[in-house]
Amino acid sequence: MTIGYYPGCTLKTKAANLEVAALAALDHLGIEVAELPRWNCCGAVFSLATDDLIHQVAPVRNLIRAAEQGCDTVVTICSQCYNTLARANRLVREDAEKRDTLNRFMTEEPDYAGEVEVVHYLSLLRDRVGWERLRAAVTNPLTGLRVAPFYGCTLVRPGDVAIDAVDPAILEGFIAALGAEPVSFTAARECCGSYQMIAHPEEGLRRAAKVIAAANASAADALILSCPLCEYNLGTRQGDVVAAHDGLEHVPTFYFTQLLGVALGLDPELCRLDLSGPAATTLLTERKYIAAATA
Amino acid sequence: MPYTPELKELIKAVERTRPERVERKRRGEEIPFLSLDERKERLKFHPDFKEEGRRPLQVGPSKGYAIAHEIADLLEAGSRVDPDRIDLSAPAYTTDVLVIGGGGAGTSAAILAAERGANVILATKLRHGDANTMMAEGGIQAATKGHKDSPYFHYLDVMGGGHFTNVPELVETLVTQAPDAIRWLEHQGVNFTKQADGTLETIHGGGTSRKRMHYAADITGAEIMRTIRDEARNHADRISVLEFSPAVELVLDESGHCAGAVLYNMETEEYFVIRAKAVIMATGGCGRLHIQGFMTTNHYGATADGIVLGYRAGVPVAFLHTVQYHPTGIVFPEQAEGILITEKFRGAGANLVNVEGNQFVNEREPRDVEAASIIKECVHEGKGVPTPTGRLGIWLDSPMIEQLAGEGTVKREFPGKYILYKRFDIDISKEPMLIYPTLHYQNGGLEFRPSGETCVPGLFIAGEVAGGIHGANRLMGNSLLDIIVFGRIAGTSAADYLAAGVSEGKLSLDHVRAYNAEVDAAGVSDGRVAPAIIPNYTDPAVRERQLTAHYVGNVR
Amino acid sequence: MDTAALTEKVAAKAVPIYIMGKRYEVPEALTIMKAMEYAGYQYIRGCGCRGGVCGACATVYRKAGDYKIYTGLACQTVVEPDMYLAQIPFYPANRATYDFESAEPTPETVFKLYPELFRCVACNACTKVCPMDVEVLDYVSALKRGDLKAAAEISFDCIQCGLCASRCMGEMAQYHIAQLARRLAGGKLAAKAEHLGKMCADIEGGAFADLLGGLKSMSVDELKKVYTEREMEPHMGADEWTPASSHGLA
Repeated sequence: MTIGYYPGCTLKTKAANLEVAALAALDHLGIEVAELPRWNCCGAVFSLATDDLIHQVAPVRNLIRAAEQGCDTVVTICSQCYNTLARANRLVREDAEKRDTLNRFMTEEPDYAGEVEVVHYLSLLRDRVGWERLRAAVTNPLTGLRVAPFYGCTLVRPGDVAIDAVDPAILEGFIAALGAEPVSFTAARECCGSYQMIAHPEEGLRRAAKVIAAANASAADALILSCPLCEYNLGTRQGDVVAAHDGLEHVPTFYFTQLLGVALGLDPELCRLDLSGPAATTLLTERKYIAAATA
Repeated sequence: MPYTPELKELIKAVERTRPERVERKRRGEEIPFLSLDERKERLKFHPDFKEEGRRPLQVGPSKGYAIAHEIADLLEAGSRVDPDRIDLSAPAYTTDVLVIGGGGAGTSAAILAAERGANVILATKLRHGDANTMMAEGGIQAATKGHKDSPYFHYLDVMGGGHFTNVPELVETLVTQAPDAIRWLEHQGVNFTKQADGTLETIHGGGTSRKRMHYAADITGAEIMRTIRDEARNHADRISVLEFSPAVELVLDESGHCAGAVLYNMETEEYFVIRAKAVIMATGGCGRLHIQGFMTTNHYGATADGIVLGYRAGVPVAFLHTVQYHPTGIVFPEQAEGILITEKFRGAGANLVNVEGNQFVNEREPRDVEAASIIKECVHEGKGVPTPTGRLGIWLDSPMIEQLAGEGTVKREFPGKYILYKRFDIDISKEPMLIYPTLHYQNGGLEFRPSGETCVPGLFIAGEVAGGIHGANRLMGNSLLDIIVFGRIAGTSAADYLAAGVSEGKLSLDHVRAYNAEVDAAGVSDGRVAPAIIPNYTDPAVRERQLTAHYVGNVR
Repeated sequence: MDTAALTEKVAAKAVPIYIMGKRYEVPEALTIMKAMEYAGYQYIRGCGCRGGVCGACATVYRKAGDYKIYTGLACQTVVEPDMYLAQIPFYPANRATYDFESAEPTPETVFKLYPELFRCVACNACTKVCPMDVEVLDYVSALKRGDLKAAAEISFDCIQCGLCASRCMGEMAQYHIAQLARRLAGGKLAAKAEHLGKMCADIEGGAFADLLGGLKSMSVDELKKVYTEREMEPHMGADEWTPASSHGLA
């Protein structure tokens, strides 16, 4: 199995804290992946219009790039990219007419028929490492940390690309492998507010508040995410969310890969906590998962 | 088109001698440089020394001075438009500084003048950036490495290259301002080729005693031009650009100060006046005059317009009897004829080799010596390589570079030329290039001072239109340098001139009337008009059938 | 060499080309530019350096019976029989004015000045149309992920002809954005040359005034002697080379 890594744009700018520890962890666990030498934006949001094939060009071109490299699998960390690439891949596999149109449009590229498998990092971790081996590799277990797993939309919808289709508790399994405690959480598969936060802020804030309220209700110490847009709405904008709704408590947010890095005992610098809110660092130092000086 | 079977056969001679030549290069064994006396002998084969190629000027401030017929034809010509038909009372634009020319010198001048608070109009014949600057490939000289180099050595090299005829004060200004010019360009964001720690890569050029040629891959001029053009565009509040608007006359005021220009809108065919408190002439060179029938590396607009305008306004010309032929212009494939092959190929180690596969000159002699040597080898020694169309050329052995500096070097260091040849199915990392001297640079031009001033108050000049810096021969990498150094100086000097207060007198074209009268009295114009604006590339047969077309000079 | 003389020398067979749909017979070995001049056109626009670096003569053409769009520089592209061509001497493009001095070399600077960057759908029409074989989509992609250095490198051979902008579905002017990236990368991300600052300081401090004064006051014969005797840095030597004598240095 040759695994290509598709980073996505945001991981190279604002969401380095989603990427760096993730790659270091794979290295640490002996899983070899190589970033595609050429890639473009994934397409950002899967286009739902059935006649809007041009928006499939971006994700399919990336899959062609992976195929060109001889990869049979391409892994993403950002759940948005995962969703866009995986759905485009299904479209190519399942709709011969659209596949031909896309291939004819991209005559400068080799034909593509869905030969590459798109997987999310969590699936790769579960299937190639396994929770038991991961647990064994954890040197700094996050014992006592109550973590709310937030799937959001793009990891689990629609069903044909859902990473929880065969394992409805994949994030819970991941949290447990780190030695932390996954908490039951009613908003785990809710929408974070998505682009509504910009287009219709009130609706966006209301959506986000629902998630924070559920996290509060489950007495979670932390909320883990896999998507930069979720992080924006639930992390960066959490102050606004809490301010706009009575009775909400702040809850630190992390990318799941940051906690992975901490639990594996990687250099905390790799976890790029500087890019997360100060509450994240405070929580980890107070609980002594990391030393104060290194934060 | 790729090399013909005949040429491929001839390349075998180059390949046969290559291993030994590479070995010699590795050992540091070079063909000895010519002594000054030997250079003098060799230069007798240079086109500048062909007496039948030039004639003494019959009119103007440098009357009696012999220069190439093609330039003399323009100086001994009437104005394009009757001064009496120009309405000077209603200028279309009024500005502080008018910059004529949108190449590297004009653009630097415009930026510096604007930064000092002047409102600037930059008028240019073609597009902003259509200039020889854009085409300069090899690099830009400056003594920036103090452990081995200094303005002292740069000065010596410039003087030696110019056969010790250069104006010393101009050379002093050039070499002492050079490092600051590089610093300014670096600051503006020019992507010089550098080491990771910021150390600028530098190499030798013809006639340099130290490696001081800075470069940006093989498109140094284009990288500089597009960067400073971008900066000029950022000053849109102060710099307005008028494209396709060549100047056809300077305008003086009644006290003889330069006070604007008459320009020509090449699209609407209107003439219009710009009134300015100061004028910076940066119109470039003359390659498209095809002196002595030579092919040229120059851009389409290089027709010596500024020389004509300045000369009519009373500025003498200097060093204009010498023209630089770049030793290595493409001679095959014919479609690419005249295109410059940067000296950097030779700087990187490529030998010049004759039809027998033998070297006949050190590849790093000054340009005129190198060009004369190639002409001698082809025309007088009979050892040129014949092209399918009956021309002669010399091999420039680029594949050597791969052997000296590692596989892939040619593609990496010379991407522009690699692509160009690839279009003709020639891989220059494997096959040598066939070259011959090509008309490249106007060594001389209008007389000026280190401050950019001329003898006409209010008229400043910079760049290739100016004469004296390079004496009788310019070294590689000193032209890009000259346009930046003297462009910035001209911009600053013009701004200072404004700041000192300019009285705005009545505009006048009397100098043009007087010049026309002088030309008429001398009986030399033969009905010619100048400036040329563009070259004449219309097929004579077509022109004969254009029964109602009206040409003023070369312009239809 | 003008076109007429070239035509005579090449004495090639004539091929038909269609300039904006109109048929002309031109010698087969000519470039499009020379062919148009041969046909009787006089260039005002659409012609610049005639050497393949200025971007003035971008040309679009099709071949008979072929749906594909082909492009080339008129000064570099040899005519083909039955090519249908038009030059695109100018294409309007949005360029953002900015203050380079205060511009931060960050992705956000680029995003703010050119938000249309995010209209890219990776259709790749830009790359396909580029006459310089620049991977335009790749540098646009690099810009979207904020990698200014990569964008600067990938776009380095751009001649700003504007053909990419003419074909962009996202209606952006890629080449202006690349120019911004190159300036930010070259001027603000690349390490500065320390030796340059030192030399400028030495010159400003007058370190060479006397040396140059001496050279300027020499007779030509004296100067020739100093010139001839100056030590030459070896061609293949390392950058660290130092001359035997420190005379002439700071």
